[in-house]
Amino acid sequence: MSERRKVLIVDDDPDFVAGIRAILDREYDTVVAYNPKDGWDALKKDRYDLLCLDIMMGRGAEGVMMARKIRRDKELRNMPVLIITGLREQIAFLFPGQAVHPGFVPVDELMEKPVEPDLLLQKAAALIGASEARQGR
Amino acid sequence: MVVASTAGTISFREEVENLLHAEEGVSLIRCIQCATCSAACPAVEFMDHTPRELIALINAGMRDEVMASNTYWTCASCYACSEKCPEGIRPADVMYALTRYSLWKGTFNRDWVAPDFSRRFARTILRTGKSYEPGYAPAFIFEGGFPGMVREMRMAVRLLSRGRLPLIPSRIKRIRNLRAVVARILPLDGIE
Repeated sequence: MSERRKVLIVDDDPDFVAGIRAILDREYDTVVAYNPKDGWDALKKDRYDLLCLDIMMGRGAEGVMMARKIRRDKELRNMPVLIITGLREQIAFLFPGQAVHPGFVPVDELMEKPVEPDLLLQKAAALIGASEARQGR
Repeated sequence: MVVASTAGTISFREEVENLLHAEEGVSLIRCIQCATCSAACPAVEFMDHTPRELIALINAGMRDEVMASNTYWTCASCYACSEKCPEGIRPADVMYALTRYSLWKGTFNRDWVAPDFSRRFARTILRTGKSYEPGYAPAFIFEGGFPGMVREMRMAVRLLSRGRLPLIPSRIKRIRNLRAVVARILPLDGIE
């Protein structure tokens, strides 16, 4: 790992972004978009090695829509996606104590807020490594 | 607004606007404080801050005051404010954005009727495909005290006599199809 990999964070919660950014900045170049539309524009403009995606944004579960859109896109299909969500905690009111169904959205990995810094770095490295191995780089 | 890796965090106003990124309407910074929204609002007398005040609070970055306000839970969603705003701001969409924000962050007041009602409403729709008013009565009929209860019951009798109040909940055909549609957007497990 000579050059620093690029990670895009799409999350509308500035406090949380500041938190995971502080963790990821240790090893990666991070770019932030605070809504899915800007996130999509950023993905189209530049290439990223990993996407950290929030679920509940904008009008509802727009992170889910974005993950599905990425999987349908030829260029972006192979980019690893790490969903970091406070879903259970944020809307425990609507979804009390239930795990998110694994078939709900096609992502590579799902983590729940609050995240453990070491675990986040570990998962990010594993996802980037697996994706690069897949693409033969 | 993609922020480069060195930039700082965003303001509360921008945070609210990011919740509205998929809606029509212009930035809240365009608000000229003319109070046309407050004048148009039929529910304003029940609000602790008028819509105009709420927008001013958001623009001033006063998050705690905004989140503690009952304004966005009191909104009747009539959209009069959005229709009349001379600057093209859509305050009704802002109200919806703030209710979502408070649900996701868990900052809403547990004693308020509106969040509880939203939950019961969503649950009823998922089970039967339509709203069933008598189903909400046991939870909310005591809200207005004894006079309120009598008022509600008289209303119910009048509705019943005109056949406007179903006694038995009915279900739409092919409820599974509706549930499949909703399941594309939200995990259903926890709503029920």
